[in-house]
Amino acid sequence: MTWTCEQTEARLSDYLDGLLQPAEHTAFDLHVNTCERCTPLVASVSHALGALHKLGQVEPSPRLVDSILTATQGPQTWRNAKRWLHGLQSPRFVYSVVSVAATFLLILTASGFSLRKPKLADLAPATIYRRADSQAHIVYARSVKFVSDLRVVYEIQSRMNENEQNPAVREEAIPQTAPSKDPGRTDGTNPAAPRQQNRANDVARNLQILAAECPLLTGSFGERSSR
Amino acid sequence: MEQDAQLVQQCLQGEGSAWEELVRRHTRRVFNICYRFTGNRAESEDLSQDVFLRIYRTLASYRSAHGGFATWMTSVTRNLLIDHYRRTKRDRVTDSLEDKMPVVENKESAGRRPDEQALLGELSGQVQSALTRLSPELREAVILRDLQQLEYGEIQTILAVPEGTVKSRINRGRIELARVLQQMGVRPA
Repeated sequence: MTWTCEQTEARLSDYLDGLLQPAEHTAFDLHVNTCERCTPLVASVSHALGALHKLGQVEPSPRLVDSILTATQGPQTWRNAKRWLHGLQSPRFVYSVVSVAATFLLILTASGFSLRKPKLADLAPATIYRRADSQAHIVYARSVKFVSDLRVVYEIQSRMNENEQNPAVREEAIPQTAPSKDPGRTDGTNPAAPRQQNRANDVARNLQILAAECPLLTGSFGERSSR
Repeated sequence: MEQDAQLVQQCLQGEGSAWEELVRRHTRRVFNICYRFTGNRAESEDLSQDVFLRIYRTLASYRSAHGGFATWMTSVTRNLLIDHYRRTKRDRVTDSLEDKMPVVENKESAGRRPDEQALLGELSGQVQSALTRLSPELREAVILRDLQQLEYGEIQTILAVPEGTVKSRINRGRIELARVLQQMGVRPA
């Protein structure tokens, strides 16, 4: 392959960057080694390229970043304020505010503060304490009553279930006539045992309580007791 | 590159900290392109500020699908430099004394002997001076290829010219730089 001075100049960068084909590279070298014009050209450009590559990065002034930010987004204080305001839009902050507000509202309501007719006096610590104390006692008393009522209802229900599951026992257990309270019997019959008599008295008493508590069920209990 | 695109998206959503991060990441690069093109520190800082101002205003027009943010930013820088060159062509007669002050370069400066560093500093000043004597077309091609280490494809995108023209400008720029250095008395050892 023949190589000319024009080719050397045109492909000099490809040669220096290693982009020539092997055959071109060989022809380039052969020509440059024998050409008086091309030898100094390649040497000087190679030297210039080496000097270029040795140039380092120049450090800008430390104030440059700040001056750019000031030119684009305003002064430092304004940027900080905008960043703070932007932070308020985060979901985490919104959830926090909502939960704090809900807690505050709950405490106010529990302390007896009326949102419909708010008074400044209602916010006095002594008033809040007195109302909170009163509310706590009322809630406690209501809870105790509720639990007690539940216990009575459960007791009655369990008794009724017991009787419904085993009616024979019920019939046998309940005496047809009340035994004489007098000690010693003269009619020749065996009196009911004291334990059976007590149970019959309990069932009758419970049915009366249930009838009083649940007037709607009175009819059905009346029918059942008459049977 | 993906991080830049993400930061741009955050900027467009109004996050000031994302813009601050973009500025911090690219200030040095933009400043260096400006400095190598103008050879003037104060002028380069003003130009860097103008570049970021223009980027800030036109950020919504950036599309990551059309190339990396750095390429787009370099393109904006180059356009602004050419505008500045044309605008100040008549004013460039003399440089101020301040502009002639040596600039500290950080590349491998640590560990060198003072005499070596002085020689290198002198050579750097000569190369910088030679660079500013090139025509703007050749200068920008050499800066992008040999100082910013960009690929031909990226330079083609930035300069908006065919790849053949890019290669030709880089080649002519290097030969012209060597010729100017020889005129300045800088010759290969």
